[in-house]
Amino acid sequence: MTSVTGITRRTALGLALGTGLVIGGAAGAWAQEDPVVIGYQLPLTGNTAQYGQDFKTAAEIALEDFNASGRLPVPVEIIFEDSRSDAKEGVNIARKFVDNDDIVAVLGDFTSTVSMAAAQVYKQAGMPQLSQTASHPDYARISPYQFRNITTQAQEGEVNANWLWERGFRKVAVIAEQTDWGQAVVQGFTAPFEEMGGEIVYSEFFNRGLPDFRSIITKIQRAEPDAIYTGLFYEDGAQFLKQMEQLGADIPVHSTSAAYNQKLVELAGPAADDLYLTATFLPTSEGEHVQEFVAAWKAARDGQEPGQFPAQAYDAVNIMLDAVVRAWPDVTRESMREALAATEDFPGVTGVTSFDEDGEPEKQMTRARIVDGVFVEVQ
Amino acid sequence: MSETDTVTDRPASAPKARARARLLQGGILLLLFALLPAVLVWFDRGYFYQLAMLALIFVLLAGSLHLVTGVAGLLHLGHAAFYGVGAYIAGLLAADHGIGFTIGLPLAGLGAAAIAFLVALPTMRLVSIYFAVATLAIGQMLFLVMQNWVAVTKGPNGVILFGGIDLFGLEIGSRLGIYYVVAVVVAVSIWVIHRLTDSYYGNALRSLREDDQCAGAMGLDTVRLKMEAFTIASFFAGIAGALWAYTTGYISPVDFDFFESILILAMVVVGGLGSLPGAILGALLLILLPEVLRDVGDVRNMLVGLVMFLSILFLPKGLFGEVPALALMRRHFDAAWPGAGERRVGWRG
Amino acid sequence: MDPYYVQQLAIGLSLGMIYALMAIGFTLIFGVLNVVNFAHGEVYSIGAFAGLLLITAFGPPLLAVFLLVLAVGAATGFGLERLAFRPFRRFSDEASLKSRAMREATLMSSLALSIFTREAMELVFGSEFQTVPLDYLINEPIALGPVTIVTGDIIIFVAAAVMLGGLQYLLTRTATGRAIRAVSNNPLGAKYVGINTNRTIVLTFVIGSMMGALAGIMVGLYYGAIFPAMGFTPAVKAFVAMVMGGLSSIPGAVICALIIGVSESLATTFVSSVWADMVAYSFLLLTLVLFPQGLFGKGRDRV
Repeated sequence: MTSVTGITRRTALGLALGTGLVIGGAAGAWAQEDPVVIGYQLPLTGNTAQYGQDFKTAAEIALEDFNASGRLPVPVEIIFEDSRSDAKEGVNIARKFVDNDDIVAVLGDFTSTVSMAAAQVYKQAGMPQLSQTASHPDYARISPYQFRNITTQAQEGEVNANWLWERGFRKVAVIAEQTDWGQAVVQGFTAPFEEMGGEIVYSEFFNRGLPDFRSIITKIQRAEPDAIYTGLFYEDGAQFLKQMEQLGADIPVHSTSAAYNQKLVELAGPAADDLYLTATFLPTSEGEHVQEFVAAWKAARDGQEPGQFPAQAYDAVNIMLDAVVRAWPDVTRESMREALAATEDFPGVTGVTSFDEDGEPEKQMTRARIVDGVFVEVQ
Repeated sequence: MSETDTVTDRPASAPKARARARLLQGGILLLLFALLPAVLVWFDRGYFYQLAMLALIFVLLAGSLHLVTGVAGLLHLGHAAFYGVGAYIAGLLAADHGIGFTIGLPLAGLGAAAIAFLVALPTMRLVSIYFAVATLAIGQMLFLVMQNWVAVTKGPNGVILFGGIDLFGLEIGSRLGIYYVVAVVVAVSIWVIHRLTDSYYGNALRSLREDDQCAGAMGLDTVRLKMEAFTIASFFAGIAGALWAYTTGYISPVDFDFFESILILAMVVVGGLGSLPGAILGALLLILLPEVLRDVGDVRNMLVGLVMFLSILFLPKGLFGEVPALALMRRHFDAAWPGAGERRVGWRG
Repeated sequence: MDPYYVQQLAIGLSLGMIYALMAIGFTLIFGVLNVVNFAHGEVYSIGAFAGLLLITAFGPPLLAVFLLVLAVGAATGFGLERLAFRPFRRFSDEASLKSRAMREATLMSSLALSIFTREAMELVFGSEFQTVPLDYLINEPIALGPVTIVTGDIIIFVAAAVMLGGLQYLLTRTATGRAIRAVSNNPLGAKYVGINTNRTIVLTFVIGSMMGALAGIMVGLYYGAIFPAMGFTPAVKAFVAMVMGGLSSIPGAVICALIIGVSESLATTFVSSVWADMVAYSFLLLTLVLFPQGLFGKGRDRV
């Protein structure tokens, strides 16, 4: 199917050029303006709409810059479809994208569940899919067509295990949300930490969106750990930190890049201070890319600072656009897959990205800490 | 007197009604197995195949819930959990034991039915709202098991099924083939449900809905009837779950949460309680409407809520209420209670 | 006793109070119409959002916020009854009153309305947690010996006690209360003896929704978590508490809400957080099977 698209595209171009000689350029110009189309499936409504809306803003920023830069003679277009984080809708969208012969690659979805279900469709159809957040351990291994721009927990967990060990913590409590990602967080941290000789004194999962962590916190206090390692998103993170303070639990808390969002500080206030976390993106870092993105985001969002997830989406879109440039002029699904797989040392706002043979990214992690409501880099 | 009325009515209207029913059945079969596939092949769009299969799966779900909520009148708030049990049985059998569609599909239905039977044993004596809240609890508990019993269900990681649908060792690869498999399974199931409800057995279930104490007094074993309806409905929900698992290739617990139960319930009620065509139409409406409204943008789900609200407001008995039952009731009231029959009992305003 | 368990018990009780706050209004409305009002959770979120808007716009004292939220709740209850329940009372013949389909229609109309409202709120405010000004949060810790509670616990306890006492007074000592009980007992009979059933039902919705909205802003400020879908979990818990309590009894629902809260906290203590709901639901099934009248119900058929 993909090769058919390629042929039609090329023959169309050829035909257009041929007739262009006769008619006089008009048709040629029309063929030239035929945009490259990319699909983006993401939750724009429903309980997780906040994440999808962030991705959309980030994608629009990236796309606008790209089309203004003139790196391609034709514009690139992104078609957004709302999946509500519902697997049923995600699969429908996947089929719809596959049907649309103009679409050469797909971005998304947000949750692993929907990304995985949609991936089954893309696998069969040979459509390259790049998710900015799908964290399921098996996601990238589904087929050569799946890529993601999120650090795996095997990587992030090891960085954190080293960090906690360096800070002298030997007994650590681990909590994470009960999702595929949370499971990966716990495994990714526990294995290297225990190998170093550390001890996990307490380990527990909670159902996502739990408003009340007080019972868990009391339980953690009883286990008397040196530190807590948490796998939670920023909203749950804010709840957790506030309730830690309420209960007077004075234990250092470490977290992952998923908690990295200015909103965490807004929601938790001073309780957020002294949270340690790893991230691949810091809006305060000096890089030129980063400052451009932060400025554009602030303009689009009334001066808010972008968090980790919008940055990941921004990079995912840029990686995709970069692949389009490299695949040009023969932009097909197959050539896009090749181009994506060949991504090497892509300089993004979340650091330098390369894909390994499974389509997993390899990234540099930054260590950060909240001081007086501001995320600062820890050297 | 009313008896003679109905008896004299019968000979004139029954053959006509039967002919009409047969025509309708033939029409549906023609649509399902000839027209729709022709359209699908004509357009050759995976999206349409997907929509058709998803709609069929939810038709089966709504049809099975119809048996419990529509016919037997028991508010069931946990149907999606049995849908999930079926999907998980099919998924785990395929992923861990390499057991395919031919055996997996019936096992999924039977497994869901067996679990339904077990949980029904202590709870089926409950009536009305107590029954509803018991099914809510059962549904949530099954969901928690799927989500948290990581060792068996793989928990939130979900299950990836490799391999597609095979029939007795024959691999069904084409989209049209898979559509036909789903369509046949759903059509046979719906036919069974139809035969069950359109019978003396169905009338016994209806008597539960209208007045369970009276039904008990007349010698019906109400607890057993409820248990049977609940188990049979769960069997078909399990089948629907297996179809979802085989056609999607990946399942995870969030596909079967409380919202899904409410969605299925909404299909049955919007379409008209007590009517199988109503349940089917409700399923089609609530699956296809959000897709049709895709171009409207982020307000589409608001519109779905609005359409639901308006359809209930203007057609309080649903799109297809149980006309025959109401007509029968009216006729009986007519004789026993002069004047009551003339007043329309809320049917279409 | 180990202070650890006392602390867990205190957490469970405070969790239970939060469910109870929701259960009071929910039970009142159910008692009158005998239908589940699916939109009660949205009344709760509307209350929270109304309070938050007022706080961010004017920053008034907390008491003024609560009063305004009560007014908003009353208006919401009135509108809700008008839109989702009144249209289905236009058929007053016996067949329609007995018809399950009619009752289920109001169930669906309230569900449809709740979907519509939630989607609309998500569209306007977004699905994320709203930023709540920190000095409005009611979570100052208070140490009671080895146990820590927060100011919000006391406020919620007082609010629930006042609501419960006020309602009991209203229901048993006033003419309005008698009318409400009459309609709840037998709507047709109440009509025949000259009670204005429509007015009574509207009044019940107004009172119940006022309580729902107040619960919303209080819990919103307690946790500092205000978002469009916030009403869902408490509404399910309130529903469960109401049924466990035997449907007709508001004190029963409150006690059962406390039982659910404590059992959740103890389940987290002894088993694990992810199985906490499992314990609560098993508890519910056990009560349903073992106590056919509900824990505090009187004389309603359930088997």
